[in-house]
Amino acid sequence: MAEPVLEMRGVSKSFGATDALKDVSLSLMAGEIHALVGENGAGKSTLIKAMTGIHRPSAGTILMDGREVAFRDSGAAQQAGVAAIYQEPMVFPDLSVAENIFISHRDRPQLIDWGRMNEEAAEIIARLGVRLDPRRAASELTLAEQQTVEIARAISLKVRVLIMDEPSASLSDHEVRRLFGIARALRDAGVAVLYISHRLEEIFALSDRVTVMRDGRHISTRPTAETTQAGLIAEMVGRDMAGRFARMPGQAREEVMLRVAGLGRAGAFADISFEVRAGEIVCLSGLVGARRTDVALALFGIAPADAGRIELAGQAVRIASPKDAMRLGIAYVSEDRRRLGLALGESIAANITLPALPRYTGALGRIDRLRELADAEGFARRLNIRAPGVTVPAGTLSGGNQQKVMLAKWLNMAPKVLIVDEPTRGIDIGAKAEVHALMRALAGQGVAILVISSDLPEVLSLADRVLVMREGRLAGEFPGETATDEAVMRLAVGAV
Amino acid sequence: MSERGLAGRLRAQLASWEGFLLLVVVLLVALNAVATPYFLTVQNQINLFQLSIEKIIVALVMTFVIINGEIDLSVASVMGLAACAFGWLFQQGMPAGLAVAVVLGIGILCGAFNAFFVVAVGLPSLVVTLATLIAFRGMARILVEDRGIGGFPDWFNRLGQQPLVGPFPMALLVFAVLAAVAFFVLQRTAFGRRVYFIGLSREVAAFSGVDVGRVKAAVFVASGLVAALAGLLYAARVGSVRGDVALGFELDIITIVLLGGVSIFGGVGTVTGTLLSILIVLNLRNGMALANITGHIQTGVLGVLLILSVMVPTIRGWAARLFGGGEAVR
Repeated sequence: MAEPVLEMRGVSKSFGATDALKDVSLSLMAGEIHALVGENGAGKSTLIKAMTGIHRPSAGTILMDGREVAFRDSGAAQQAGVAAIYQEPMVFPDLSVAENIFISHRDRPQLIDWGRMNEEAAEIIARLGVRLDPRRAASELTLAEQQTVEIARAISLKVRVLIMDEPSASLSDHEVRRLFGIARALRDAGVAVLYISHRLEEIFALSDRVTVMRDGRHISTRPTAETTQAGLIAEMVGRDMAGRFARMPGQAREEVMLRVAGLGRAGAFADISFEVRAGEIVCLSGLVGARRTDVALALFGIAPADAGRIELAGQAVRIASPKDAMRLGIAYVSEDRRRLGLALGESIAANITLPALPRYTGALGRIDRLRELADAEGFARRLNIRAPGVTVPAGTLSGGNQQKVMLAKWLNMAPKVLIVDEPTRGIDIGAKAEVHALMRALAGQGVAILVISSDLPEVLSLADRVLVMREGRLAGEFPGETATDEAVMRLAVGAV
Repeated sequence: MSERGLAGRLRAQLASWEGFLLLVVVLLVALNAVATPYFLTVQNQINLFQLSIEKIIVALVMTFVIINGEIDLSVASVMGLAACAFGWLFQQGMPAGLAVAVVLGIGILCGAFNAFFVVAVGLPSLVVTLATLIAFRGMARILVEDRGIGGFPDWFNRLGQQPLVGPFPMALLVFAVLAAVAFFVLQRTAFGRRVYFIGLSREVAAFSGVDVGRVKAAVFVASGLVAALAGLLYAARVGSVRGDVALGFELDIITIVLLGGVSIFGGVGTVTGTLLSILIVLNLRNGMALANITGHIQTGVLGVLLILSVMVPTIRGWAARLFGGGEAVR
C-alpha cells in the first residue's frame, strides 16, 4: 500500500488524571475515506484535536509524509494541509462566500482583487460539484451550504487531510447525499478524508476503511467491506464486564411522581411520553445530539415545551420558568458545570444556598449567615466535599468536588423530582462511585430521579428503567435488569 | 482554613484590594495632615465631602449597577434633568415640595426607561445608557436652555448650603444613610447576593431560579432614583440650575467605583471598597489642591490608580506564578 499521508504513532493525551487517548496509532492514506466510530467519550474528539494542533499529545508522534510534525496551533495544521469541519460550520456570517473561503490565506497581497477572488472561489466550488454564488453573505446560506464553504476553504489551502466531524448530524437526506458526493470527489482527488459519524449506515455507504475507538484506545481498523453493523457495535461497547458497577435492587414505589405525555418543542423534540415513579431512577440514554437535554430544559422551564402535558403527582402542571419548576419541586443539575451550574467566583456556601435563598432570609431580606454556613457545612460532610472550608470560592475545587457542590445546591431545596444531566462527566472514578451512591440513597428516600447520561456502564448500573432517545424522539425503553450495551446502542444509532 | 487567628486575618485583609486601599487612605491622610495643619479640621473634612457629594452618592448605586454586570452612563444626565426639571417646575409655579416629589418620580421613570431596553428588549446597557445619556441631557437643555434658573425658596437653599445637624449638611447625612443602606443591601441581603450571582454569570443565576430581569430592573430604577436625588441636592447646594448641571460626572463616578475594586466585568467588589475609594479620591484631590498641584495632574494621578486597580487580578497572577504554590483565584 502507498505511504500514509498522516500517521499517528502511539499517541496519548491526558488531562490531569484522566487519559483521553491511550497509545493510539492510526494511518490515513491518500485517496481514502476513513471512518472513525466510537461511543461518546471514546476519544474521537481528542484525537481530532491532536491531529489539528489544538491539543499537544502527551506522548507519541504524528507524521506527515513520514516526517514528524508538531503543529503549534490549528492554523499551523491548516497550512500543512490538515483541516477539520464540524457539525456546526464555522463561518463569518457577515462575510461573503469568497471572503470566507480565503480568510485563512496569509500569503496574499494586502490589496484585495475582488474579481479574481470571486473567480477563484467559484472555481473551487465548481470542483465540489455544487452551485453557490461566491458573492452571497454566509449568513444567507443553509447549514449545508456553510459546510460547503468550509470545505472549499480547506481545498483552497491545498488540504491533504480533511476531517469531517459529524458533518451530517444536522443535514437533511438530500443534503447528506450531496455531502457524500463532495467527500467522494475529494477522495478521488487524492485527499485523505477522516469521516466521523454516529450513523452506521453512513459509514457503510461511504467509507473504505473503518476504525473503532473505545475508552481512548484504538480497537480495530479494517476495510469496511469486511465488517458488519453488529460487529462494529460489539467493538464500540464491548468492554470488560468485570469493570462495571454492580447493579442494586430497584426502590421504585407505586406513586407516579412525574408523567410526561406527548411532550414536544418545535425544532428540538417531539412526542415524548414517559413516567418516573417515586424512588425510581430512570435513565435517558442516547447519543450526543439526540436532544435529551432539551427535554430536561423543557421540564425545568428554561425552554418550555410547546406541545403535550406534564403531570406532577397526578396533577397537570404548567412550567414556564425555572421558578415554576422549583416551586413544584423539580430540580435540574446541569451538564455544563462551569457555564450553567456554579458561579465559580462565589463561595461554596453561597452557591449551595442560591436556589433556596428565601429560606435563609429574615427581616428586610437579611441572610442568616450562620444558618447558611451550618447547612453548607452539613452538605460538605454528607457528600464528602473536600474543601478547606465552605467560604472558599467554588472554582478552587476539583471537578468531582464541584460536581458534589452542584448536587448539594439542588438537594438543599429537597426536590421531589431530580433531573441530573451527565452527573459524572469528567470526574474521577472515586467521586463517580460516591455520586452514584448518593443518587441511590435519594431514590431510597422517594425522590423520582431522571438521569441523562452518555456513559453506558453508568446507565446500566443505575437505571431501574432505560429510555433511549434518537433524533428528538423516544426510540425505545428497557427495564434496567434486561438492558444491555448492544441493545441500547442499537436503538441509539438507529441500526436495523 | 489555612489562615487562622488575628494575625492571619490581618494579613489576608491587607493582601486584599480593600486592604491596599485602606493603606493608601491612611498614607494620604497622614501626608495631607503633615503638609497642611488645616487639613484635619472638621470643617475642611466636611468641605472635602461637600464639593463632590453628588458624585459620591451616585457612586454608591453605581457599585450595584457594575457588580450586576451592567453600566449606567446616563446617571449624570439624569442628575442634570432632575435639577433642570425642578427649576422649570418651580418657575412654572409649582410648590417646591411638590416639585421635589415629581422630580424623584422622573428619576424613577428614567431608570425604568433604561431597564426596559436592557431587560425587556435585551440591548446592551452600554448602548442603551449612552443613548439616554444624550437624550436625558437634551431634555434638560430644552427645559432650561442656556439661562440659569434660581431664586428657590429659602428652606430649599438652606438644606443644601447650611449645616443641618451639628456641623453636617443634609447632603452629607443623606450620603451616610445611603452608604449604610447600600452596605446592608449588597453585603447582607438575598437581593445583594443575587446581584453578585447575576454579575458573575447570568446563566447560572437563571438556572438557579433567580429572576434575572427583575433584579436588573430594580438596580436600574434605583440608579435613576438616586441620580435624581443627587441632582436635587446639587440644585439646593448651588442655588440655581442650568442645562449643563453635572455634565460629564458619569466618568468620575465610574472611576471611583472601579478604583474601589469593583470589576468592570461584574460580580466582584464591595461597598466598602467604593467607600475607601471615595476617601482616596477626595483626599488626593484636596491634598493636591492644598499643595497647589493643578487639576490636570490630579486627574492624571487618578488615571494611574485606576489602571492599577484594573490590573489587580493580573498582578496577583504574576505574583502567584512568581512565588508558586499560591492559588490564583481568577
